[in-house]
Amino acid sequence: MFAEVAPMSAFPHLRSLHHVNQCHYLSPPSHIYRSITTTTTKSRRRHPEPLVVDLPWVLNTSTPATTTIALDEPSLQSTDPPPVLKRSSPVTTTSMLNDPSLKSTWSHRAWVASGCTTVLVSLAKSVTGAADSGTWLQPILAGVVGYVLADLGSGVYHWGIDNYGNENTPVFGSQIEAFQGHHKWPWIITRRQFANNLHALARAVSFTVLPIDLIFNDPVLHGFVSVCSGCIMFSQQFHAWAHSTKSKLHPLVVALQDAGVLVSRSMHGAHHRPPYDSNYCIVSGVWNELLDTYKVFEALEMILFFKLGVRPRSWSEPSSNWTEETDTSSLIAEL
Amino acid sequence: MASIPLPTAKHSLPSLLHAQTPKTLLSQKLPNLPKSFQSQFCGVKLSHSSNFAVPSSFKKSSILAKVSKGSVAPSFSLKDQDGKTVSLSKFKGKPVVVYFYPADETPGCTKQACAFRDSYEKFKKAGAEVIGISGDDPSSHKAFAKKYRLPFTLLSDEGNKVRKDWGVPADLFGTLPGRQTYVLDKNGVVQLIYNNQFQPEKHIDETLKFLQSA
Repeated sequence: MFAEVAPMSAFPHLRSLHHVNQCHYLSPPSHIYRSITTTTTKSRRRHPEPLVVDLPWVLNTSTPATTTIALDEPSLQSTDPPPVLKRSSPVTTTSMLNDPSLKSTWSHRAWVASGCTTVLVSLAKSVTGAADSGTWLQPILAGVVGYVLADLGSGVYHWGIDNYGNENTPVFGSQIEAFQGHHKWPWIITRRQFANNLHALARAVSFTVLPIDLIFNDPVLHGFVSVCSGCIMFSQQFHAWAHSTKSKLHPLVVALQDAGVLVSRSMHGAHHRPPYDSNYCIVSGVWNELLDTYKVFEALEMILFFKLGVRPRSWSEPSSNWTEETDTSSLIAEL
Repeated sequence: MASIPLPTAKHSLPSLLHAQTPKTLLSQKLPNLPKSFQSQFCGVKLSHSSNFAVPSSFKKSSILAKVSKGSVAPSFSLKDQDGKTVSLSKFKGKPVVVYFYPADETPGCTKQACAFRDSYEKFKKAGAEVIGISGDDPSSHKAFAKKYRLPFTLLSDEGNKVRKDWGVPADLFGTLPGRQTYVLDKNGVVQLIYNNQFQPEKHIDETLKFLQSA
């Protein structure tokens, strides 16, 4: 007996089983789920209290035949008393979703604003320079090159962060920890607010592009820099969209994903399957096939192994910190 | 000691390959590229040519020459995964597949070892033995063999002396130990050399195909 499980809003560590064969990432489904019994399909009501979830999942209910799982969605209706699901560690679902670390702060917004400003200034310089000189082709081509190389850059950076170092590594420690957490709970990225998601990249872009804005005026250079840095800064947004479901995305975003302009949901989903060693690029994903076919990252890993003695994480069995959490979904499936 | 060098595989490659498999034509078009560059993705195979004859005086004389097809493979004695010393001469009388690989517990080498394991019965049916050689120590080999249930011998070429003696070329501008497999006939003469760094399973296909057709 098995049914689709609750949306992530109530059960953050549950996988959307509806999507098991279709998508390979965790994401909050767009619709309400059915009961866990074979016969009952009921609509749900918003649970009035935060649902306490502890591991391992234990369903306490006196009416197993009509057991329903209350969900944290306002449109849900339920006529049965919701069960209490317990985990051994006291984490609440709503607290996980309302975790302040997912929200944007004014500092985040400021960095995103500054990053966007530097990119727009660069773009403006490119456009005005092209207009003044009358040559548009080269700046545009430079922009295309910037878009293409941003994808490659995203892949190399992502590969490095995914495979080497840990939370104690200088400079990159917090990023590495964030990436590790992302592999464990991929869907959380879809719950991050915009500036929260982008601020780290926006900060890097601000520091890099500002001097270029101040020093250089060449429209071709700025064509490259504005598009490349803009794509890098927004790669986290493209990444979040790649973790979302089609129904939750704007049709334009879906169209761009399907056209290969932005990294697709299925391509990025492949990265989130063991051994987590492919499809590292997250802007358009245009480099992924080439890099994976020619085992470029494997070659780099081998070189680093022989020269520095460091093993990448992808060579070992994924630790529990890395593996996507699916335990609770299988337990629910058994009920 | 005689100092006449054997023609190295690198220089003789274009002329030898011209008569060989189409796969190796690439090296003739780009003779200046190191063999190892092409071998990473396409594989490079040197098969025994019946016209090729190496004067016996050359075979034993030059210690600087690489092992090439038609030459008698130099003997060695290395420790296996149980710490026992194993000599190549022990295998005389039957064909031997000697495969040099970069290191235990790396993705390519694991794939290769498992592929040899999965086809081991076919190798035995062809009357051949399989030996893997890398620079790792016996304890590393023991753990590797145990983890993946490898039924064949793994030898520790600590210091990579045998690798150098046999002239196994390195890859990626010398940064990676090469992945090269030799098939020796029952007299210890090299009949096939196959090199491919990033498609390790192909070593099994090529050597098995050769043994089964021999």
